[in-house]
Amino acid sequence: MTSSPTLSRTRRLVAGAAGLVLLGSALSACGAGAAADGSGTKVKGGTITYAHVQEPPCIFGGWIQQAYISRQVLDGLVTEDQDGSVKPWLATSWDVSEDGLTYTFTLKDGVKFTDGTPLDAAAVAYNFDQFENTEINGTAKVSMDPYYKSAEAIDATHVAIHLNKPYPQFLTLITQGYFGIQSPTALKTRSQEENCEKPIGSGAFTVEQWKKGQEVIFKKNPKYTSWPATAKHEGPAYVDEIHWKFVADGVSRYASLTTGQSDVIYEVPTVNWKQAQAQFNNTIRYITPGKPVSFYMNTKAGVFTDKLVRQAFAYGADRKGAVEAGFHGVIPYEGNPSVSQSTPDYNEDAAKAYAFDQDKANELLDEAGWTEKNADGVRTKNGKPLSVKLVYGAGFIFTSEGATVLQALQEQWKEVGFAVKLVPATMAELWGGKFSDPSTFDATPSYWTSPSPAILWIVWRPNTEKAPNGNNRSFYNNEELSRVIQSANTATDQNKGSELYKEAQQIISDDAAGVGLYTQNTLIAVANDLKDFWVEKSQGEPVFSDAYFVK
Amino acid sequence: MTTLAPDLLPSVSTRPLPARTSVRAARRVGFKVVSAVLVLIAAASVTFFAQLVIPGDRATTILNLQNGREQKWSTAELAPVNDRFGFDHPLIAQYLDYVGGFFKGDLGTSYTQFRPVTSVIGAQIVPSLVLTIGALVVAWIIALVVTLVTVKRGRFVSGAGSSVEAFTASLPHYWVGVILLVVFAVKIPIFPVIGGDGLWGTVLPVLTLAIPLSGFLGQVTRDEFDKVLDQPFIVTARARGMGDTGIRLRHALRHAVLPAITLSGWALGALISGAVIAENIFGRPGIGQVLVTAVNTRDVPTVSGIVLVVAAVYIVANLLVDLAYALVDPRLRAS
Repeated sequence: MTSSPTLSRTRRLVAGAAGLVLLGSALSACGAGAAADGSGTKVKGGTITYAHVQEPPCIFGGWIQQAYISRQVLDGLVTEDQDGSVKPWLATSWDVSEDGLTYTFTLKDGVKFTDGTPLDAAAVAYNFDQFENTEINGTAKVSMDPYYKSAEAIDATHVAIHLNKPYPQFLTLITQGYFGIQSPTALKTRSQEENCEKPIGSGAFTVEQWKKGQEVIFKKNPKYTSWPATAKHEGPAYVDEIHWKFVADGVSRYASLTTGQSDVIYEVPTVNWKQAQAQFNNTIRYITPGKPVSFYMNTKAGVFTDKLVRQAFAYGADRKGAVEAGFHGVIPYEGNPSVSQSTPDYNEDAAKAYAFDQDKANELLDEAGWTEKNADGVRTKNGKPLSVKLVYGAGFIFTSEGATVLQALQEQWKEVGFAVKLVPATMAELWGGKFSDPSTFDATPSYWTSPSPAILWIVWRPNTEKAPNGNNRSFYNNEELSRVIQSANTATDQNKGSELYKEAQQIISDDAAGVGLYTQNTLIAVANDLKDFWVEKSQGEPVFSDAYFVK
Repeated sequence: MTTLAPDLLPSVSTRPLPARTSVRAARRVGFKVVSAVLVLIAAASVTFFAQLVIPGDRATTILNLQNGREQKWSTAELAPVNDRFGFDHPLIAQYLDYVGGFFKGDLGTSYTQFRPVTSVIGAQIVPSLVLTIGALVVAWIIALVVTLVTVKRGRFVSGAGSSVEAFTASLPHYWVGVILLVVFAVKIPIFPVIGGDGLWGTVLPVLTLAIPLSGFLGQVTRDEFDKVLDQPFIVTARARGMGDTGIRLRHALRHAVLPAITLSGWALGALISGAVIAENIFGRPGIGQVLVTAVNTRDVPTVSGIVLVVAAVYIVANLLVDLAYALVDPRLRAS
């Protein structure tokens, strides 16, 4: 969704005012709702109404929105526990060969897809082949791409996945919702439209109906047998249905929860977060691992080809203060540009670099030769102004609150002599590739979720003519960095791998090839009469199969 | 505007039309139908090409949408997508294919949902029409009541009436929607917050669109009403001893609503594509929402299909406006 700056300002004002009114009504509702504090008896059945934000084009695919929703119908081989360890799901156990090149999974016996066909080793092998060799899921592909070789069904319950190099992160990566296993029969025999709208898995729910623009209705799978080891109960889901609604507007999403029309909401507006914590027993702030919302700095063209200028940019504005103010203290600042604080092997030192210091910024800019200033107070070098074109996804990567943060930073950058031009880009422009060329921007903030520091390779792999990497939007080709990440990915010694991942983060930070901003998050609030709703660890996918109502 | 009272105009003929007149009428209808079809084709064509002119590549968008990214893709990665959707065919061939399709009732297949565009639109058009026609009807009722009650009723009352109109006409939809939501769905929970397409859930979205529109309709009606009430035929009617309410309803109203009818033709088309804000706030399906998503994802056939539908609504609306003119103004029927 895009909106003009004036509109978004109006929206903010209205949202703020509406927030106050909602607060009043919530306080008065508190007394009346004492019975709903959740200490009642368990009810079987019922319908969970979940208010989400974005509607994906298909249930499954490589977008985080699709990982969230496909988790309801598709099961994975393994899952990630809250402590970061990998636990059984469709695979009850697994063996890794001595050389680290073969993962042999033992599958749970007797699991069937909801079309009645068996979920056996051949089905799993077929799915992995599809991930790697078709367009079915680009994120699954890129997560295992350089190391994946083949998948092989040994017998009905044993499947081997062969890699061409050891890749210890492989297990963690396949815990993501992108790796949900689908019925090969359905994939092969049904139309693309059917598979898009009603994929067939073995999950706790099936897609009953998709009312486009409104909701997806999920029905419980009464024959569910393949819950993950992390489930809070064994057996089919307690509730009969989930109504997964798309409610783009934050004010109405939150109002739907306070009025009892929905039971769980995604993306609680940050203005309402404190109130939600006071009113609802179960509020979840999940900090998504992977690349945080940080700036890619164009190292190939424009003012940021000079490292000193990139560093001055990082020092020049109080990013921490702006994030805390803009998001009402709810969303944490993230100083590390390459991985967020919830990612394993996070480098804290890299996160502390470039604390707000305008003197330092001025020094660096003087050193870089941007010594003159024009009438507008913008630094110049050989008559050229120090201007930065900062392109951001308005309305889908950046909410209006995020845009406020950028506006605050823009003012501070001006104080040290940067003329930062904020360019709000629509989804059509960004996704259509208008700003993918080095000539089209100087800095652009974006995120990429992943449970593993192996995200470093996906994002920072050199972008060369021969092996293009469109994800490396800093156009930053650093041989040393490339070598360090590859060694980390293939290190069989866990401590060694961890050290190397930290080293890679340090290189990116030292070179200011990226500049940190804030973490990507999932903010969820749950009605008090719904128990055991949780979000899983790898991506923050909502889990409804254990949830039940109390009376 | 004539100064003759409508009663003095020749009455409408009830004789069967002579043959030549009916031929002329048929030709006129035929002409209207042909020009309507041409307008539709032109609308779809302009949209089709306009979308291709926008910077950015369709195959890139499809891959980025499928993978939630904003990156550049290699030629090898783009090739299968180009091939599947025929983006590698010459533009003119793609266009002819598209236009040829819609004579067969085929508006193409959505790039992102893999469904025929007719089914993408078909699922959304009913809630959209309910919302827009509902909003138009309610806007008319509010506008007429406010105007009839307040125009030329002394400085204070008519001043209040026109202030209400100026105020409502200037309200942004988003503001109206949120206020209605907070007041009538949260503070006084009469209506649902997320209404869906149910009848009860339609009330607040309809009001969200109707309130600002009623201000516009009221303003133009009031101006005209004001003028008409000074006309000699009104004085004549008063002289005949007719009551004020009777005069307003029977004589003045017909004259006063003509500009608002013209405005309604425009409003219906604008509402159907502009309903997205109301749809967003109340979590309601509709083609406004689909249009925004489709534009964002460069889903060319879906955007063109919706533009086609909106153009059709405009055409039908204008036809209805013509009919409505004839209904309220007997002079048009006579000619």
